[in-house]
Amino acid sequence: MNYTVRDSTPGDCKDIMRLIVDLAEYEKMPNEVKLSHKELEADGFSSNPFFKCLVAEVPEEFKSKEGHTIVGYGFYFFTYCTWKGRVVYLEDLYVMPEFRGKGIGKALMSRIAQIGRAQGCVRMQFTVLDWNKPSLDFYSSQGAVNLTATEGWQLLRFEGEALEKLAQNAN
Amino acid sequence: MANFILRKAEPKDVSDILRLIKELAKYEEMEDQVILTEKELLEDGFGEHPFYHCVVAEVPKEQQSSEGHTVVGFAMYYFTYDPWIGKLLYLEDFYVMKEYRGYGMGSEILKKLSHTAVKTRCSSMHFIVAEWNKPSIEFYKRRGASDLSSEEGWRLFKIDKQYLVKMSSEE
Repeated sequence: MNYTVRDSTPGDCKDIMRLIVDLAEYEKMPNEVKLSHKELEADGFSSNPFFKCLVAEVPEEFKSKEGHTIVGYGFYFFTYCTWKGRVVYLEDLYVMPEFRGKGIGKALMSRIAQIGRAQGCVRMQFTVLDWNKPSLDFYSSQGAVNLTATEGWQLLRFEGEALEKLAQNAN
Repeated sequence: MANFILRKAEPKDVSDILRLIKELAKYEEMEDQVILTEKELLEDGFGEHPFYHCVVAEVPKEQQSSEGHTVVGFAMYYFTYDPWIGKLLYLEDFYVMKEYRGYGMGSEILKKLSHTAVKTRCSSMHFIVAEWNKPSIEFYKRRGASDLSSEEGWRLFKIDKQYLVKMSSEE
């Protein structure tokens, strides 16, 4: 089956949003998606984008049951490691179930790796849920190392009320 | 002794920033992992497209460290993106020299960053902490941080350069 991997355009935001919600459902957290496709467009396609996104597209004749031709996406941005330098952070990687097993996920990830290397990135970083065995296996096969397991890193956050409280009385 | 100011880092600060990065890495028992140079820090933080932002804590000359330093703490951060909620502030490194702890510098730095997060309409501040680093975990939890690795099962992964190169060439 034919597919292409390309840079997304503002017009792809509705499809990207659809796939973001699909992935959130898979991750058992669909109610956590608060973003709209308009915000995605503003944040990703202005003069100072906060992220980049690649999409995987199939020709019309291979469209999904519901008529979609955008069937996967790879969402990334650049971060920084004070020990080694530039890092490419893979935020989301997702392919619709009916299009899996054709190398689309790997193609998206490879293109992002290529882009990262072109920008002088020393590594790619991302998080995976501990129960997500198919993904854990896939990433392992690509050479990924679980830093939480090997080095004990825990992911923390301040959000909502906690963040507001912390911000009060800042000088 | 409680006099200090917090200010945005400038190009002239890169040597102090690297010194503090190495001190923090030493505390994390990974000092030999720091291969970043002052030149890269300068290019990556103060060029046309900064990969990071940095805040430094500075004391007056009369309170300089035993080795003659006046820049005694720093925090490095950048903006990331969560496709569910939008912009996030990611705290990459956060450190105050041992002899300057206990004066509220850490708290002030964190307040300043959370203020920046709220001002730039970030929904959350994220960061990682090593699971054995009990003092830091307690410091953050006292201020309302949640541990996403424990609560939601997120595991941090990396893919190093050699595998990125391999992936890029397999496309």
